[in-house]
Amino acid sequence: MTDEIYAGAREAVLKGDIDAAADVARRGLDEGIDPIELINNGFIPGINEVGDLFGTGQLFLPELIKAAKAMQAATDIINAAIPEGEGQEGGRVVIGTVEGDVHDIGKTIVVSLLKANGFEVLDLGRDVKTERFIEEAQRFNADIIGSSALLTTTMGAQKKLEEALRQAGLKERFKTMVGGAPVTRRWARRIGADAFAENASEAVRLARELIVSA
Amino acid sequence: MSDMILTRMGDGERVRLEAAEIREDILDGTEDAAKRAGIAPLSEDEQEQLFEIIADPARIVSVKPGNEVIVTDDGCSMSFYGGQDGGGVGAPLSRMQAVLTYERACGADTTSLGHSDYSYKPVKPIINFEANDYYNISMATTAPFFYGAQPNLGLYFQPDGPCPNAAELMPQGKIEEACQAQEEAAEHLQRDLVFVGRRLAEVGLEGLNFDTCGSAGDADFLAALKAVAELKKTVPDLPILMGAAGEFVLGMHGSVTFQGERLAGMFPQDQARMVAAAGGDIFGMAVSTATTESVPWNLSRAVTFLKATSERSPIPVHANVGMGVCGVPMMEQPPIDSVTRVSKALVEIGKADGL
Amino acid sequence: MGMQIAHIMASCMGGIRTAGDLVAWMQITRRMKIREAKAYVAKKLAIDPFELTDEEIMRELRKDLGIGTVTSIAGSPKGILAKSRVARLLDINIRSVALFRSQLDA
Repeated sequence: MTDEIYAGAREAVLKGDIDAAADVARRGLDEGIDPIELINNGFIPGINEVGDLFGTGQLFLPELIKAAKAMQAATDIINAAIPEGEGQEGGRVVIGTVEGDVHDIGKTIVVSLLKANGFEVLDLGRDVKTERFIEEAQRFNADIIGSSALLTTTMGAQKKLEEALRQAGLKERFKTMVGGAPVTRRWARRIGADAFAENASEAVRLARELIVSA
Repeated sequence: MSDMILTRMGDGERVRLEAAEIREDILDGTEDAAKRAGIAPLSEDEQEQLFEIIADPARIVSVKPGNEVIVTDDGCSMSFYGGQDGGGVGAPLSRMQAVLTYERACGADTTSLGHSDYSYKPVKPIINFEANDYYNISMATTAPFFYGAQPNLGLYFQPDGPCPNAAELMPQGKIEEACQAQEEAAEHLQRDLVFVGRRLAEVGLEGLNFDTCGSAGDADFLAALKAVAELKKTVPDLPILMGAAGEFVLGMHGSVTFQGERLAGMFPQDQARMVAAAGGDIFGMAVSTATTESVPWNLSRAVTFLKATSERSPIPVHANVGMGVCGVPMMEQPPIDSVTRVSKALVEIGKADGL
Repeated sequence: MGMQIAHIMASCMGGIRTAGDLVAWMQITRRMKIREAKAYVAKKLAIDPFELTDEEIMRELRKDLGIGTVTSIAGSPKGILAKSRVARLLDINIRSVALFRSQLDA
């Protein structure tokens, strides 16, 4: 029965079926499945599969958003059943495209996938000043600041953000992730960012790792 | 150490790998492409041929005499006087000087003109300036001279354009609104592409380049296809080159169709078919370079996609070989050791009709 | 710019140094793939396709045919005049040439 529930959870997320996802979550809890195991073994594999299918051009942004909504419906029900203090925090992310850069399509995909995976995301949009990244991260009580840059001429703003965080004594307070077409792992290392993601699925995986390590 | 082969990662970093590691990357790369696009992987002989190109101890390599192809220009002439964003070197040349230098000093097969923004929308208000420059330069050039830019659907969303911003609506769960905004934006884009093409056609345009189509997703690709079809109805003798943005059409909308076929998720072999069906004369294939993988892995993938596309395409296929595309490392000054290996492999194994 | 020049050195036919422009015209005006385009141009020039990228052969041919040479020769056609001859040689429509001819005839 448990396996059937897990399969149902995966399928509900893959289909982006909000009602089915909520129903499976309730049935799973009624069956006595541990809430955290229900998320980890049922819903998370589903949303991971959605991310992979999106990354290989077999599933598209509207379906990704629907899957995220289904995931959200299920996790709301399951989280309510977890005793306080024992729940898994998805993490809080402030994200934006750096100052001088108006490209936001890649960032949109990352935002969607992070939300789908249970992260609380504050999307600052595009052309975001360094100071605003920091102010909003403090206000939002973020765990991670994500910045995107699509131009070789705007990548420098990611370095500026790292320097500003250091100067403000906040480098240890927030983890930083960088992405965007010209951005590389070496660039992330060079400027002192905590992670670089090549694509949206990778961003989710690394964000989880950063939350665990924090 | 001497047995190690000098190559690079996708971000340009120099690495020394053992022959077995390179062969393994080539195998992984071709299998990855084959699995994704439902095409055949490179044969063992082709993989070995690719290995020989990568392992060549010379700093640069080239195709064998007789195997040369056409190198079309997508904004290269602008690189003389442009800046960092387009890989430009900022030399103080006029547009005409740059185009003629590229044609005569570099021996380019084709040249081109483009607005520095490299998008079609900003060309609209300055179309007469562009038509004037195009006409004047076309009187002096000998090789085919294109006008080119990117469709760039993103410029039609607020705050830059008239349509609600799909990139903001979608994460809010407003799927229908986001899709509608993309459809509306695509109509604006199509109109602008046709407007620019028609006006330049009046002054003897020799060829039009829609570069990096689909960079904002499937609606962007659709607008370009429809613009090609519309232009071909009114200016049937206008050659049009249509280049793609990636190995598959990104499904930002997910449901738009051209001639009854859904565009989202289309791989290069089908992208080429669509471009030909719209009336395009050359298809430009693009495969993004993964910066965390090696050049052998990236190049093997790109060659695999290209070979399948070249074999099936009814029109010539040119591989896009700019910064971070088709195995060229993603960095502002792509190293020429990798660039020439990409060139040779795409032509001799991928059977490109041009680059 | 170095990247483009590297591609030109590695794979390019050579533009007006050789017969690159001629083969390119065939690709864009007749949708010919590389092998077919080379064969077509070679036939028009009465040479072997292999010779299309041979500077030693193509330079003389281009000079004789008045279709533009890479070095600048006083009195020798280049630009729209050279293209006009290319259009006739290859039996193709070059739009800038068509416009120019219509203006001449007007």
